[in-house]
Amino acid sequence: MPFDAANLFPILPEIAILVTASVVLVLDLYLKEKDKDINHTLTLIGLLVAIGLTGAVGGGDARVVFDGNVVRDGLTDLLRGAILVVSLLAFVYARPWLKDRGLFVGEFYVLGLFAILGMLIMVSANSFLTIYLGLELQALSLYALVAFDRDSKKGAEAAMKYFVLGALGSGMLLYGVSMIYGATGSIEFGPVAQAVAEQGMDNKVLVFGVVFLVIGVGFKFGAVPFHMWVPDIYEGAPTPAVLLLGSAPKIAAFALAIRMLVDGLEAIQPDWQGMLLILAVLSMGLGNLVAIAQTNIKRMLAYSTISHVGFIFLGLLAGSAQGYASAMFYAIVYAVMSTGAFGILLILSRKGFDAENLDDLKGLNDRDSWYAAMMALVMFSMAGVPPTVGFMAKLLVLESVVRIDLVWLALVAVAFSIIGAFYYLRVVKVIYFDKPDPDMPVLTTSGGVRFAMSLNGLSLLALGLFPATLLSWCQSVFV
Amino acid sequence: MGFEKFLFYVFATITLVAAGMVITRRNPVHAVLYLVLAFISSAALWILLEAEFLGIVLVLVYVGAVMVLFLFVVMMLDVDIATLRAGFIRYLPIGALIAVVLALEIFLIVGPANFGLQQFPAPAPAAPGVSNTEELGLLLYTLYVYPFEIAAVILLVAIVAAIRLTLRRRSDTKYMDPAQQVRVKKGPDRIRIVKMPSERAAVPAVAASAAPQESTE
Amino acid sequence: MENVYLTIVLAPLLGAIIAGFFGGRIGRRGAHSVTIAGVGLSTALSLLVLARFIWGDLPVYNEAVYTWMVSDGIRFEVGFLVDRLTALMMATVTFVSLMVHLYTIGYMADDEHNWPHGALTGKNSYQRFFSYISLFTFSMLMLVMSNNFMQLFFGWEAVGLVSYLLIGFWSTRETAIFANMKAFLVNRVGDFGFILGIAAVGMYFNSMDYAEVFAAAPAHAETQVALFGGVSLMTLICILLFIGAMGKSAQVPLHVWLPDSMEGPTPISALIHAATMVTAGVFMVARMSPLFEMSETALSFILIIGATTALFMGLIGLVQNDIKRVVAYSTLSQLGYMVTALGASAYAAGMFHLMTHAFFKALLFLAAGSVIIAMHHKQDIREMGGLRRYMPITWITALIGSLALIGFPAFSGFFSKDAIIEAVGHSTLYGSGYASLLLTIGVFVTALYSFRMYFLVFHGTPRMDEHTRHHLHETPWVVTVPLVLLAIPSVVLGWLVIEPLLVTNWFATGDWNPIVVAHDHDTLHTLREHWHGQWAFVLHGMTMPPFFLAMGGLALAAVVWWFTFAKNPKIDDQLQAMGGPVTKVLQAKYGFDDFNQKVFAGGSRMLGRALWLGGDRAIIDDGVVNGSAHRVAALAQRARHLQTGYLYHYAIAMIVGLVGLLTFFVVL
Repeated sequence: MPFDAANLFPILPEIAILVTASVVLVLDLYLKEKDKDINHTLTLIGLLVAIGLTGAVGGGDARVVFDGNVVRDGLTDLLRGAILVVSLLAFVYARPWLKDRGLFVGEFYVLGLFAILGMLIMVSANSFLTIYLGLELQALSLYALVAFDRDSKKGAEAAMKYFVLGALGSGMLLYGVSMIYGATGSIEFGPVAQAVAEQGMDNKVLVFGVVFLVIGVGFKFGAVPFHMWVPDIYEGAPTPAVLLLGSAPKIAAFALAIRMLVDGLEAIQPDWQGMLLILAVLSMGLGNLVAIAQTNIKRMLAYSTISHVGFIFLGLLAGSAQGYASAMFYAIVYAVMSTGAFGILLILSRKGFDAENLDDLKGLNDRDSWYAAMMALVMFSMAGVPPTVGFMAKLLVLESVVRIDLVWLALVAVAFSIIGAFYYLRVVKVIYFDKPDPDMPVLTTSGGVRFAMSLNGLSLLALGLFPATLLSWCQSVFV
Repeated sequence: MGFEKFLFYVFATITLVAAGMVITRRNPVHAVLYLVLAFISSAALWILLEAEFLGIVLVLVYVGAVMVLFLFVVMMLDVDIATLRAGFIRYLPIGALIAVVLALEIFLIVGPANFGLQQFPAPAPAAPGVSNTEELGLLLYTLYVYPFEIAAVILLVAIVAAIRLTLRRRSDTKYMDPAQQVRVKKGPDRIRIVKMPSERAAVPAVAASAAPQESTE
Repeated sequence: MENVYLTIVLAPLLGAIIAGFFGGRIGRRGAHSVTIAGVGLSTALSLLVLARFIWGDLPVYNEAVYTWMVSDGIRFEVGFLVDRLTALMMATVTFVSLMVHLYTIGYMADDEHNWPHGALTGKNSYQRFFSYISLFTFSMLMLVMSNNFMQLFFGWEAVGLVSYLLIGFWSTRETAIFANMKAFLVNRVGDFGFILGIAAVGMYFNSMDYAEVFAAAPAHAETQVALFGGVSLMTLICILLFIGAMGKSAQVPLHVWLPDSMEGPTPISALIHAATMVTAGVFMVARMSPLFEMSETALSFILIIGATTALFMGLIGLVQNDIKRVVAYSTLSQLGYMVTALGASAYAAGMFHLMTHAFFKALLFLAAGSVIIAMHHKQDIREMGGLRRYMPITWITALIGSLALIGFPAFSGFFSKDAIIEAVGHSTLYGSGYASLLLTIGVFVTALYSFRMYFLVFHGTPRMDEHTRHHLHETPWVVTVPLVLLAIPSVVLGWLVIEPLLVTNWFATGDWNPIVVAHDHDTLHTLREHWHGQWAFVLHGMTMPPFFLAMGGLALAAVVWWFTFAKNPKIDDQLQAMGGPVTKVLQAKYGFDDFNQKVFAGGSRMLGRALWLGGDRAIIDDGVVNGSAHRVAALAQRARHLQTGYLYHYAIAMIVGLVGLLTFFVVL
């Protein structure tokens, strides 16, 4: 069978990222210390090119290439775009931090780009094999990024935990895949879906495999009880690494869930619905409760992630087009919010000082009222206060749950989100009503960072006021 | 019971026992060696399944390369076995309970009921001329070329990550740069004459101790 | 045309944003330039649109610009419906708003004197004021140009919000704060009805779009709602919507906010009470005419409320001494006329009066403001007099405004008011006799209080103190130019537009007719049938009772407050004393304020206190909120210990999770 070069068109964004990573990897060898900015510039250009290519090759009917290993459809287009944009912001925020600590080296960009490549592969995967490999590529790069600061013991410990638990999670996922393969005889989502639809829910092997798949998904998302890595890694890893692994990977994890559970196994939705339901309730409950007790803001955000994952699961478990669309909306919005929150922490950090406690945000309003306003927007959005987009996102997932007559679940979710509002609003209170320590130096940031953060923060408001465009994109994916 | 079946049970038993030994041996070197044994017997199982190429690769890569490296690391690191195993007995009951339940559940599903010969009849033996290696190669470079490329990238990432995390230039190491050395010119580069004022003779120790106030200033 | 319409709406918003957020940086000049440029652009484009409707053949535009969200099949959109009705409203709103913007430059020039020294809120107040009035224009345009109920509600609320900000603009004055709170609360009462009405529309029609709702309305003509023993759906919807209009258009008994709102700076009195906010209700009812036509009960209700407002609010104007309050009560009374016209199904006449009133009432307010500037912010007409010698332009324009208001023949008010009275006379609805009588008497009262004010202010001997008189002079050009520009339409507008508006049904474009009148409600038909041109209308009007009543009122006012007043300055007080209890009732404004204050405000405060003590503090605060907060905190402290930091704990947690899920879903 001759190879058709047209196969390559749908994966042009992946190719662009791979090329950028390789160029940075090689070029970095020849760059002098003072020229390292070229890495940064190249990375940004690469991401922009990939965004452009995503637009260029996107749209139109779904297209399966590489003998059923890759698919380019609406989901691919939208998630690719979201991942790339969010990562772009992350790299912009990370640069000053890296420079201050002598970590401004090419490897950060190479590993970051490879992680992005892994996510892109996941969103365009059409078989269990491809999606697993994308997952591993992303995870391996992220393990290395967590340990990136070699002099940090906490970083090394976090990376170790992440690595071991990640291996355990991947192992379970792989085991689940093997069960699905055993039951259906295929690893490609299309044939799997067909076989599953024929066998229905009688086949216990399928259910058995799905349990493992759900655990894989739950681990990647950080859902209770597979969340244990999240707080330790968020706290221990260098903040830029957290920024990279706390934002876009959630979008990739969403793709993982949709591709495997919906594209492949929608016929046994009642089974995985129950599993996701348990994980969702536990995540919302534990995440919100424990976050209250945190004084380390990175840890607090870690638990907040866990609770948001619960909300994303609400949309997924609804099992309706509306539910998937709302979960997708939520995942994208969450990635943007999380990027903003960690971006602010990076802005507040400086040479020899990492902002990671709640107290480090004290009186931010007096130090820089614009960043204070942006952080407040992020926090309001996370808490789900209208008119920010966080409210819209919560409303949509709740609507999808109510529509399948799980009103009690919606009530539980609302109760927990009220509890959750407490710790987000506490951050706002600290920013606006506490006095800053007098020895805090003036915040100095480059225009680029300020621009990116303004874009980041205001987008939450703009999306909240005008959610229809993004929402209709999300909905058009699942029709 | 044919000979094949007999071999299967032998290697299966060896694999299980070796795996059990890996987690129960006190000496980590022994544990690694048992792991090697487990790999070898798995390779034998694969060869029984006519997957000769994979069996050999397993031995070559895992036993030949990975495990040897592992062995080096374990022998070089001074692992404190006592602390590692401190909780072993304490957690054994609960661990064993979970393990037994899990094993039971797995057996319930992955048992003969679902994966028996009725559901999965033995495939016909391959024709004599068919090459396992060739088949794999064909698949890898045609149907699975995309995953294959991704795997290559993963390996690249592994290399980058390993180098990044381990290679470090110590700041206190002094090393020469021959390029700089040969560029040395006659004159100021080679020798520099420093003019300095003549110094007073050293103060005798007795005088110093006699006038502590001045000396400390 | 979509871009043109978007520009019309967004230009004032942009100006408001720039002046509001960057007011400190761009300074006063920057702020008024940018807002005037924005509103000016809107005005120019609105006039262009109107011109193309009149002389061109611009098609009706009815499209969604942005879909905000879709829920349960109801689309919530931002969209524009621009037909001739809208175009007329747009032109009126933007033009008056532009005049007010210009005028504000002069009026607010020394605004820092209105603030206590060093008050933080007084900083950049000039720029803020411009930002607010531009924002107000934007809100009003959103309301007017909307093609669906949701956006209508948005504009409705935005207008309410900005009016709250504007009335309480001088936020350091107790009275201003009280007035804006009152305006806001009273409007909330109206809005409550309004949103219920919209909800009813959404529930029964499953759509927010005007065109769809109007098209589906006839199918619901017979629908009954099981409420109060069964009412017709249309009656319910119309009355609920009209309650909203009563709030915005200040109809009895929701009128109480309007006179108090004179606490705001005069330009906003002109903007709110002449061209924008108060006309929102009238416009809305006219826009909804296809619905209102289906309920005679609702129309009768409107008729009676409107006529009551028209006469009884005018009467209060007789005993007011604050120049702005007199104008305010006249506004209430004129709104009553418009609403009565709506009740008589003479929507076109209502819109006609709305338009002429917008110009002459803006003129009167701005003239009053001009007087107030000259008088150094004194507003008591008893301390004025003889101003015509000092302020000739203000004097002439105020005279024109007053003549237009009382319906002096051939002035704009004459046409619109006569048309209304005639239409109401032809109405056969329940209450039309009552309405007709009240409106006719109202003409006399209007003339009386208008010219009482006019004579007291501009004629007679100056009664102000020496210092003020010494400084009396005509106001600067930014004040007088708007006066002149508004005076012109106050004279000629009625003459120009009566024929197209009332006779030839200019509103209809092709087969789109925004104003729908059922056949047996058509009260304007005699006017149409006996139309022989404006002259004939004027001559005919001069033989009718309203004309004689207006002239009588004018003459009486002249006799009392011009001739007699010159000899006996006490005449005003003596007359009021003669009135005895009647005067008392009028001065107490029929007791509406006291009643609201005691019963509603006092009662709800008492209820609130009881609930606060019993419910909030005892049960909710101590029990639910603090109690659960403590419990949550305790739980959180305990739960955080789950995270031990040991890797094998984490791993075992995952395994336990796996076993749990397997057991639950596979084995069981």
